[in-house]
Amino acid sequence: MFNILSTKLNTAWIIVALVGFIDATYLTVVHFQGSYLGCSVISGCNQVLASEYSSIGPVPLALFGALYYLLMLLGFIFVLDRKSKTVLEILAYLSIAGFLMSGWLFFVQWKIVEAFCQYCLLSALTSTLLFIFGMIILRKINYNHTIEDSN
Amino acid sequence: MEEQLTKKQRRELKKQEKQELANKNRKKEQNKSLMMWLAVIAGIALIVWGIIASSGDNSSVNVSSSISDIVEQDHVKGNPDASIVIMEYSDFQCPACKAYFPIIKQLMSEYSDDIAFVYRHYPLTSIHANAEPAARAAEAASVQGKFWEMHDKLFENQSEWSELSTKLAEDKFAEYAGDIGLDVDKFKIDLGSKAIKERVKSDSQSALRAGLNSTPTFFINGEKIKNPRGLNEFKFFVDNLLQR
Repeated sequence: MFNILSTKLNTAWIIVALVGFIDATYLTVVHFQGSYLGCSVISGCNQVLASEYSSIGPVPLALFGALYYLLMLLGFIFVLDRKSKTVLEILAYLSIAGFLMSGWLFFVQWKIVEAFCQYCLLSALTSTLLFIFGMIILRKINYNHTIEDSN
Repeated sequence: MEEQLTKKQRRELKKQEKQELANKNRKKEQNKSLMMWLAVIAGIALIVWGIIASSGDNSSVNVSSSISDIVEQDHVKGNPDASIVIMEYSDFQCPACKAYFPIIKQLMSEYSDDIAFVYRHYPLTSIHANAEPAARAAEAASVQGKFWEMHDKLFENQSEWSELSTKLAEDKFAEYAGDIGLDVDKFKIDLGSKAIKERVKSDSQSALRAGLNSTPTFFINGEKIKNPRGLNEFKFFVDNLLQR
């Protein structure tokens, strides 16, 4: 199966998931420290992070994001370690959910809160990249299936 | 017969050796994988710790005396000679600053003898179009001795003027000037005067010199503090200082 993965893809996945994880963790920490209680010159981050869309009850969405990226990171390392095709497939499908969530949050920033937060945009980028990698992986898995079937 | 046995034995032995080697390799592999996971977990823990540490307590940043000392042009509320000086760099159009407005008001009503509260302008012009005109409005009111009245009025009605064009916002400010009993014609002249513009600018520049990038930013006796989460946290700071 491991013609599905390549060193390039592995490295890219790990770096992107790591960046996403650091980004989301930072936002989570900021949320709990309350440092967003202000207006910042840099961008509309405070507006976004202080909006009702930034958390579900007391739990900030960033925390879900951090857990998502952590899962993507550890799951992928597990795949490399144990050569588990099933887990790889699950991660690839999960990346669709991450992408959809990011799409929704991008829409919220754009049309509802009407302010963009650079850290949230970075997360949108990392989840989009993971989605692209996920689709590449799924395509390769399906391609392999077809070859196996035709054999 | 004997030879055959040895052959068989030898074969067994070889098989055994092979298995041992495989076991050894498997164990090695397992150890390697265990080490890797430990490293990964340690790495992640390190990252999380790093983020928490770096975004955390940078609260006691000492800044130049230009920020810690009250200067003549400052607007001071409470007791100007108090041992505790709370300085706020604020933007009238910033929602967070508005959120702190009633908190400071309450704090000052409870500790009016113990605190000198200083308001300095830091209009974030890149995100708040009417912040600078609003700061000028407060200064124009100050010319007639009613800075704090205009300060209150601007925060209380923030949503009313924030989204207006600057022209309409200035009309609104003139209306407020009338409400608080100012000479509106004089107010309008002062609002557009160069001296008032310079006055606002000098506050902003001191904020920029101190490297501030968000509002409100509070200083207590010259030390920048992390924005308190509410009245109680403010009181905690103040009570601590009073006990010293």
